[in-house]
Amino acid sequence: MSKKKVMTSTGVEVRHKPLGLRIWNNRGHYIMFLPVFIFVLVLSYWPMLGIRYAFMEYKAGTSPTWAGLVHFNRMFSTDAFWRAFKNTLILSTVKLFLTTFASVVVSIFLNEMGNLFAKKTLQTIIYLPHFMSWAVVASIFTLILSPSNTGMLNGMLRDMGILGAQDRNIYFLGTPSMWRTIFYIINIWKETGWGTIIFLATLSGISPELYEAADIDGATRFQKMRYVTLPALANTIITVLILNLAKVMNLFENVFVLYNAAVYDVSDVISTYIYRMTFTVARPDYGYSTAVGLFKSAVGCVLVLICNWASKKTRGRGIV
Amino acid sequence: MKKKVLALLLASAMVASMAACGNNDEPAGTSDAGSTTPATSTGSDSGAASTSTGSDAPAEPYNLTSLKVLVDGTVNSVKQETEAQNTVREVFIPQLEEAIGAAIGHEIDIEFEVGNHTKYSEDVGRRFVAEDYPDVMIMSANMMKQYSTTGLLWDMADAYANAEFQSRITLPAINENMKDSQGHLYGFAPTYGNGCITYVKQSWLDAVGIKGDDVKTYEDFYNMLLAFKNGDPDGNGVEGDTYGFISAGLIGGEAPYINYTAEFWQDSYPGILQGEDGKWYDGFQTDATKAALKRLQEAYAAGVIDPDSFTAGTKQAREKWWGAEQSGSAGAFSYWAGNWYKNLNENLEKNNLPSEVYQLAPIKEITDNVGGYLNRESPVWVILDDGDGDDSREQAIFDAFIETMLDGDTIQSLWTYGARDLEWSTKAESFTLNANDPEKKKDYNYEEGQFHYRPSVAEPETKLSSKNHLDPALVIAPLTNGFVVSNDLETVSNQFFTSHCVDAPSAPTSDTYSQSSGDLLSAVQECVAAVVVRGEDVDASMETYVNTVGSLVEEILAELNAE
Repeated sequence: MSKKKVMTSTGVEVRHKPLGLRIWNNRGHYIMFLPVFIFVLVLSYWPMLGIRYAFMEYKAGTSPTWAGLVHFNRMFSTDAFWRAFKNTLILSTVKLFLTTFASVVVSIFLNEMGNLFAKKTLQTIIYLPHFMSWAVVASIFTLILSPSNTGMLNGMLRDMGILGAQDRNIYFLGTPSMWRTIFYIINIWKETGWGTIIFLATLSGISPELYEAADIDGATRFQKMRYVTLPALANTIITVLILNLAKVMNLFENVFVLYNAAVYDVSDVISTYIYRMTFTVARPDYGYSTAVGLFKSAVGCVLVLICNWASKKTRGRGIV
Repeated sequence: MKKKVLALLLASAMVASMAACGNNDEPAGTSDAGSTTPATSTGSDSGAASTSTGSDAPAEPYNLTSLKVLVDGTVNSVKQETEAQNTVREVFIPQLEEAIGAAIGHEIDIEFEVGNHTKYSEDVGRRFVAEDYPDVMIMSANMMKQYSTTGLLWDMADAYANAEFQSRITLPAINENMKDSQGHLYGFAPTYGNGCITYVKQSWLDAVGIKGDDVKTYEDFYNMLLAFKNGDPDGNGVEGDTYGFISAGLIGGEAPYINYTAEFWQDSYPGILQGEDGKWYDGFQTDATKAALKRLQEAYAAGVIDPDSFTAGTKQAREKWWGAEQSGSAGAFSYWAGNWYKNLNENLEKNNLPSEVYQLAPIKEITDNVGGYLNRESPVWVILDDGDGDDSREQAIFDAFIETMLDGDTIQSLWTYGARDLEWSTKAESFTLNANDPEKKKDYNYEEGQFHYRPSVAEPETKLSSKNHLDPALVIAPLTNGFVVSNDLETVSNQFFTSHCVDAPSAPTSDTYSQSSGDLLSAVQECVAAVVVRGEDVDASMETYVNTVGSLVEEILAELNAE
């Protein structure tokens, strides 16, 4: 089998030098690359050795022993696992679309603001929640939404007469029908500001000539937003969605700090499920946790490939 | 496309080859304790005894010169979170090393590591997986049982039986009950386990006209909570803005699950239990539990239980109870006996609230059916077995560390009260606390030889130091040197508890239980949430519980009852 010829665009055949010689000639680059290569190998690939524990019984204090697919059988036959899987997909996907939508809307409004000082001040204010840890955010909202007499929101509802003297306080974070909505609102509050950065950058790159042309055509402010701004943002919105879609399985901290046993049905996600199965028992089987984690990674990998395909379709280039 | 397939194959091959390279474990079934046992301190030890087990010659005494100790947050004098704690640690450890060194006849270097107290089992699991083993460590009784089958823990039954302190033990049952059915003792409990008492603010009792001594039955208890809920016990002029009861969870995350809400759970116990006939059964699937759930449901719906109790952690519950703002607070709170009784008093006082706290005796339903408040299974000290078949090292650790812990004198005093001449002293001295507050100001004068606590290192202006690790009122072999703090709130509370408690049920030991207790606990918590928080039907919720984990429970019971 003859070696395939590599041609340049002008039709000249490219003849490669031997690999060793090419490496030697580019040794400076390879030396520069070496730390990165070692870093990736040690921190990204070496930990992958742990995958084997998904097929082993691995409890602290004893050597791992081969268990085959036992953990996967247990996992797939456990209702709580499937519930967590479903919740992960729902919470992550809805959160992604809502926070992206909110970021777009806020970006457009910020872009439309004429007063630069007000715009910068508002930007700073809405960026701030992003820098608060989820533990702090949860503490704040737990106090605000507390079902006891000290709960701020319940107090307001009572003051406004919405809750009567005989009504019990509403347990916002303990009511399954309310929990997801509150979760989305808190996530939007925390992450919308940060999400606007990329959209504002895109908006600042829109040619002013387009707006001037629209002005000449007699377009209203809303029409300019509808026919100039949004189309210019469309590609960025899709890019952001696609890039984030690959991360939908990574949901832990924001759920962990806000959920409780009363709302496991609608809030328990794979990472919190793994956490409970591992760290609430006196002597956990890390094999099971690894199996659940491996399944989560496999789904995440499939999502990345789907997003890569979608990215190629929409942007002409992939994400991996 | 070919490139992608090739890349995928290469990536898979890389992962597989790395996994294969890394998998140098022994084949299944051939591993023994030796392959997983602690990395001992032998590197710094000398004169190690022969590891031959076939020899009849008596083993040479092991010369233990260093010791690695892992503790949770219950050894106060070795904590390292604050500057004050570090100050105490730097004084305490050398004193302990010197005292133990004097007892065993040579110098010893003790290295204390403090694990994450609230996530201790998680911390221990991670250390063990990384094969980072201490020589001796604290474990909860449940942890000790789960690890007792691994070969990792040294059976100290003989060492315990021959210990010098045997003649002074006043509570022999504590460690006898720790032994398994074959008589092995894998952990040593120097004290009672301790448990919770229901505390009631005396000022609230006075405000609603109820005497604590008159609260004898659940009906009395519930009426007291109702009075706190509907009246104005905090005296702010508003009725109905307070609660009767607050707790850190309606059900605990670890045994004995019900100690924060004992009056409601009464004779039910939501865990795997061993009956009088020796058979194991699920305590959650009983009529007693259904009745308990109904009591909790009723109290929660009536608003006598602060709804924050469902998700509150201990810190939140405590601070809400003693907080300066008493509107929204509760009158009754079940919490740990001993040191915490003192803390509750002090914190109420700190917030300028009436500090008198009434200790409620167990109500009739508890005393009649259970016997008293539950004394949890004691945390234990375990020695890690190096698996070399020679017990001399482990015996040396027992002699140096555990046996001396209850010497009745110098070392026990250090374990009990902490750093000498820093946290406590017998030297003549005088000091004043709260010197700037005429109402709280108190002078302390001690003569030479008189045992006393010194001002706290963390808050020297306002507080006295408190105990280190061993509770003098709970210890199984009391001090013989007369170092006792009389009329101390801590002691008063411990004495109250010990006179009103019974031992909590023993935790089961089975592979399936050890692996699936997280599933069980989640199902129990969801059932409690459904009934109490959402007000759902008890029977329907119980049915959901059975559908969720019923088969798992049966598997665990079959395993336990087959033993």
